[in-house]
Amino acid sequence: MGNKKFSFTFITVVIGFMIAIQFQTVKEPAVRDTRDTWELRADILKEKELQLKLLREISSNEEKIAQYETKRKQSKEQVLRETLEELKMEAGLSEVTGPGIILTIEPVHEELLLGKQPDSVSPDLLKRLVNELNMYDAMHISIGGRRIINTTVIRDINRETMIDGYALKSLPIEVKVITENVQSAEKLFNRMQVSKSAEEFFIDNLRVKVEKSAEPITVPAYDEALRIRYMEPVKPDEGGKS
Amino acid sequence: MWLPVLGLIIGVILGLMTDIKVPDEYSNYLSIAVLAALDTLFGGIRAQLQNIYDEKVFVSGFFFNILLAASLAFLGVHLGVDLYLAAVFAFGVRLFQNIAVIRRILIAKWSQNREKTEKNDI
Repeated sequence: MGNKKFSFTFITVVIGFMIAIQFQTVKEPAVRDTRDTWELRADILKEKELQLKLLREISSNEEKIAQYETKRKQSKEQVLRETLEELKMEAGLSEVTGPGIILTIEPVHEELLLGKQPDSVSPDLLKRLVNELNMYDAMHISIGGRRIINTTVIRDINRETMIDGYALKSLPIEVKVITENVQSAEKLFNRMQVSKSAEEFFIDNLRVKVEKSAEPITVPAYDEALRIRYMEPVKPDEGGKS
Repeated sequence: MWLPVLGLIIGVILGLMTDIKVPDEYSNYLSIAVLAALDTLFGGIRAQLQNIYDEKVFVSGFFFNILLAASLAFLGVHLGVDLYLAAVFAFGVRLFQNIAVIRRILIAKWSQNREKTEKNDI
């Protein structure tokens, strides 16, 4: 009997709960709408004003987005430009100014007294010098006003030393070397003081004078078109394996 | 006798206090479930008065009716036919019948009691 009453009670509790929830759901619009036409009009006006304001906000935000977009695009272009400039500088297509040293290749005076006129600098010596300079962190090199880049050819044509087809000026020849910063310029200076290639110049009756320059050195740009015929870009899956 | 009424009151208070609101699209289901529950409740009361009350029938009828009504409403929504009206109609008719039977029984009991007391008085 008690069990029966219990289940009956349980079900009445559930029913009461459901009724209460239904009641709450149905009585939702507790306040009846009693506005007349003019009040409704005023309310519509208010809502419309709000809508207008929101629309204005939206359009201003969209404008902002567009602005940001253009800014972003411009900055991308800027970055590309900068990269191009950097690459040009690295390839030697632009004039570079920076700290560095100046090497002067001149005939040995003592030999001049003997009446022996030194001929021009041999291309092998120059190549060796350039290699040595590159080994010691030289960034940009010019020899006798000609910029030395990766594809520069130094060779003997008709007993005359040519750099990229241009004959070297007569002695003394100025070799300008630009390094990354003042410290590396100092290092390069010290190394060139005891350079082996300088000694080899001496065998050819030439002397290499190393000078530190107080003000920044300017190396001219490579003024011809780059002709790359046998170079190929490294494919990502082929290169870089070491 | 008073325990079920107390339960009903507790349920109502509980429901009002929890502040649960059913979304509009489901209020149909709830209303029909309430109707089914009420139908079962009155059916139970009538059975009790007729002394044919069976607890298993009552409890199973309660849940089964609610589920049936809700699924009928669901089917109606998906078929585009207001099938829940059928449930409303069926439960409504049964509600009225049950209440009518309860009323008759109560009246009969009351008149019997009165006759008894009158006899006692005489």
